[in-house]
Amino acid sequence: MSPRRIDLAANLAALAAGALLSLMVHLNGELARQGGALFSSWMAHGTGTVAALLVIPLWWKAIQPSDAPRQAIPLWAYFGGFAGAVTVIMTSTAVNSSLALSGTLALGLAGQIVFSLAADRWGLFGIAKRRLRLGDAVALALIIAGSALVIWGSL
Amino acid sequence: MIEAVVLAFVAGGLVGVSRQLNGRLAVSTSALFASFCNHLVGFGLLTAIGLAIGGLLSDGAFSGPWHIYFGGPVGVVFVALSSWIIGQIGATRSTMLIIAGQVLGGVALDWVLTGKPVSIAALCGIILIVAGVIVAQRQRSAG
Repeated sequence: MSPRRIDLAANLAALAAGALLSLMVHLNGELARQGGALFSSWMAHGTGTVAALLVIPLWWKAIQPSDAPRQAIPLWAYFGGFAGAVTVIMTSTAVNSSLALSGTLALGLAGQIVFSLAADRWGLFGIAKRRLRLGDAVALALIIAGSALVIWGSL
Repeated sequence: MIEAVVLAFVAGGLVGVSRQLNGRLAVSTSALFASFCNHLVGFGLLTAIGLAIGGLLSDGAFSGPWHIYFGGPVGVVFVALSSWIIGQIGATRSTMLIIAGQVLGGVALDWVLTGKPVSIAALCGIILIVAGVIVAQRQRSAG
């Protein structure tokens, strides 16, 4: 694929991933109402592990040792799930404060955006550095403003 | 209050850290393998926490409708997608487009589930988000 095509595919995949995230949050929220926040997250990680194991043929080859030179994988790269699980605990605590759902959501989005700007600026955790282009800054401002309107316009 | 603000903000930052780590693992292996590790490690940690503080299983935990137990498999696809994306277009653009998709998807899902009409404010928000996505799409991601 040409770089332009990969860009387009990745942009569309990111939008689709966001929509899936909404569906996931909805399902896990319903499950949390049934059995509590910790149970919901525990169950989602458990069933997710099983689902990923069911599609083992799709990724088995990628983890076999190969002759091709490859950068060694740092141990910390395996701990994405650790950060994710801790997040669940932190947000379910924050939601029960006076911030409520919309405040927790808005601050969470702010934290994500600030971290991602820093991550691109300094190439944090082994992902390539990228400088922020004007178009991306404008797009970011539009998406933040739009999301704020949707979140508070729906209260 | 200030503790809750810090907690919610740092939790958002950790979402980014998680995506960055999974993205790094995906670069050396595959996006689905990164998603598998993400779920396995998270499951291990949450099991340990559940055993330590108790209260993991309540009486009604398994009596919900079947579909609410499918958030996990949806999450596997989500983590795999985002682990691939971040290596292609970087953290900032991944984050903003995922947020755009999440908000638009959330509005659509609410509309389907509740049938409530979309408010004028939300409609204006949707227009801004779509404009942002178009602006992002017209700009090549920086190397």
